[in-house]
Amino acid sequence: MIYEALGFYSLSLFILFFAYKTITVPNPVHSALYLVLTMMGLAGTFFNLGAEFIAGVQLIVYAGAVMVLFVMVLMLFDLKAELRSFSRGLLSGSLKVMASALLAGMALGAIKNSVDPAGLQPPAEISANATRQIGVLLYTQYLFAFEVLGVLLLVVAVGVVAVSRMKGGTHAKH
Amino acid sequence: MLNTEALLNIGTNHYLFLSAILFSMGMIAVLMRKNVIVMLMGIELMLNAVNLSFIAFARESGQLSGHIMVFFVMTIAAAEAGVGLALAVAIYKKFHEINIRFFEHLRG
Amino acid sequence: MGSDWFEFTVNFIKMILIFLMMVQIVPLLVWVERRGSAFIQNRLGPNRVGPLGLMQLLADAVKFLTKEEFVPARGHSMLFYLAPIAAMIPATLALAAIPLSVPIHVEAFEWLGQNWGPYVFKFQGYDFGIGIVFVLGVSSLAAYALLLAGYASNNKYALFGALRASAQTISYELAMGLSIVGVILLFGTFSFSEMVTAQAHALSFSFFGQPVEISWLPNWGIFYQPLGALILFAAMFAEANRLPFDLPEAEGELVAGYHTEYSGFKFNMFFIGEYGHMLVASALMVIFYFGGYTLYPWLTPATVSSWFADLSPTKASLFTALVLHVVLLLKIVVFLWIFIWARWTLPRFRYDQLMDLGWRKMLPWALFNTVVTAIAILVMRHQWGQ
Repeated sequence: MIYEALGFYSLSLFILFFAYKTITVPNPVHSALYLVLTMMGLAGTFFNLGAEFIAGVQLIVYAGAVMVLFVMVLMLFDLKAELRSFSRGLLSGSLKVMASALLAGMALGAIKNSVDPAGLQPPAEISANATRQIGVLLYTQYLFAFEVLGVLLLVVAVGVVAVSRMKGGTHAKH
Repeated sequence: MLNTEALLNIGTNHYLFLSAILFSMGMIAVLMRKNVIVMLMGIELMLNAVNLSFIAFARESGQLSGHIMVFFVMTIAAAEAGVGLALAVAIYKKFHEINIRFFEHLRG
Repeated sequence: MGSDWFEFTVNFIKMILIFLMMVQIVPLLVWVERRGSAFIQNRLGPNRVGPLGLMQLLADAVKFLTKEEFVPARGHSMLFYLAPIAAMIPATLALAAIPLSVPIHVEAFEWLGQNWGPYVFKFQGYDFGIGIVFVLGVSSLAAYALLLAGYASNNKYALFGALRASAQTISYELAMGLSIVGVILLFGTFSFSEMVTAQAHALSFSFFGQPVEISWLPNWGIFYQPLGALILFAAMFAEANRLPFDLPEAEGELVAGYHTEYSGFKFNMFFIGEYGHMLVASALMVIFYFGGYTLYPWLTPATVSSWFADLSPTKASLFTALVLHVVLLLKIVVFLWIFIWARWTLPRFRYDQLMDLGWRKMLPWALFNTVVTAIAILVMRHQWGQ
């Protein structure tokens, strides 16, 4: 129990610290790199929760592919660190922070009230064969969603190529 | 008085707390940052927070459907990041700027 | 990690040994590379320091350690220091997840007046059920080291090298992942050790539901997946940024690519990372397609342990593991030599040729391999006429 708590709290601290850095540092490249560390922390948390395969996929997809794209695009842009990284307006800014805090407070309150904290006994262990079961579920019960996602990815790929080859559009000079 | 029992006995609640805080952080990034790409990163953060809660619930209920949902969310997040970055690059090529305020000037 | 401090200590030492193995193989490989390239180009290579020039490595190390510490004035100094470290981490983590031999079974024994229960020490850093996914995930992080180095150097050649490297890594990762799918389908497991166990007997498969066995051939993946093996090996060259895919550091165009600004030991760490990648790539090739640490029909866990049948079980298990470990190392050395050989034989690709090869040739072929493998497994393993 104490080990699980230790693991959870150290990982949470890791994740929250780097998430905080992600949203506050002015340089977007640093921001992206901190987000990579957050993703790795989340992969560790998934591993702790018994989702080994998802942890591996998190590493491959998020940390290894999506974030590399982000970092690459940011380096291509060569943005200088922004002096004002946050949008303007004290009133609207504080309203935004308050709205987020309200959302967080409501979510935390709801969690606190909905599940009995004392009743959290060691949950049902997901068996060691989970990866195989995920595969079976994916190709039986969720087959339609899986196929739709495939089509979605195809559409997105075509769309991205179209967008990046676009000549006209906004303020086009003819 | 701190209830050490509730603090040390890690259960679904703790993971949900973490997830809620992460989600709010992502929301702050989307609402307050000026850089479009950092806003996209905020969205990624929010999606990750949701993934965390899915996995936590999957362990709570002992079912694997939560893992499948995470799988789908990841796919969509990757697609969304691709489209978002392509748009950002296209806009940067026009304006040499990816500040969100410049997007007010867009017209067809 | 372990149930008592004996097991804990052994596991800890094991991790350090694996790291040292990766670091120590680098000077040897550098020596082989320099002597080998000289041999290929009809030169002598370094042969002055020590016997056969072996002490050259020591001289190199001293040179690396005494070079000036240099950080570009307007770069990001923290990221500049971080990049070489990030270059070494993925290869180390990936190597630690690969089984290097059979587990060692230690029987219960008495020591220091205490009873120490029976242990099983795996011949690897740590064992996940999903070893392959873990190794793929960790090695996909290698792109960051190059990106960080390029960005932090504040040098346009370094940045170009980094961008090229990351684009190349992402492109070839797809083909690499897809080419592995065939083997995973074939052996039905994500675990390295199960995969090796499946390859430690005679070639046996079902042909339209009829079991076929060829007793003089081992059950290696290469006989089922030649195309997958070829694509994986080529993609590994690209992942390790070796010639003919060393566009990120093409010296004719980019000075030295992402490590232009690095000198001394920081440069050496990039080097260690690159050779570590080669080591991991060779180990993966051997485990997926060439039987891992077994060599049917002579050297399988069963035959080797029968050599040591008259020893105590602990010793027999230990010696078996060591013999099989040597088998794995010999196979890895063959692939490392192919890496070096290719470097001094093939010319570098042009950048458009590189992208063309990755996206338009290797990816479709890997996809084709996956689909054909899936259909073949379905058709061949179906019990026809029943």
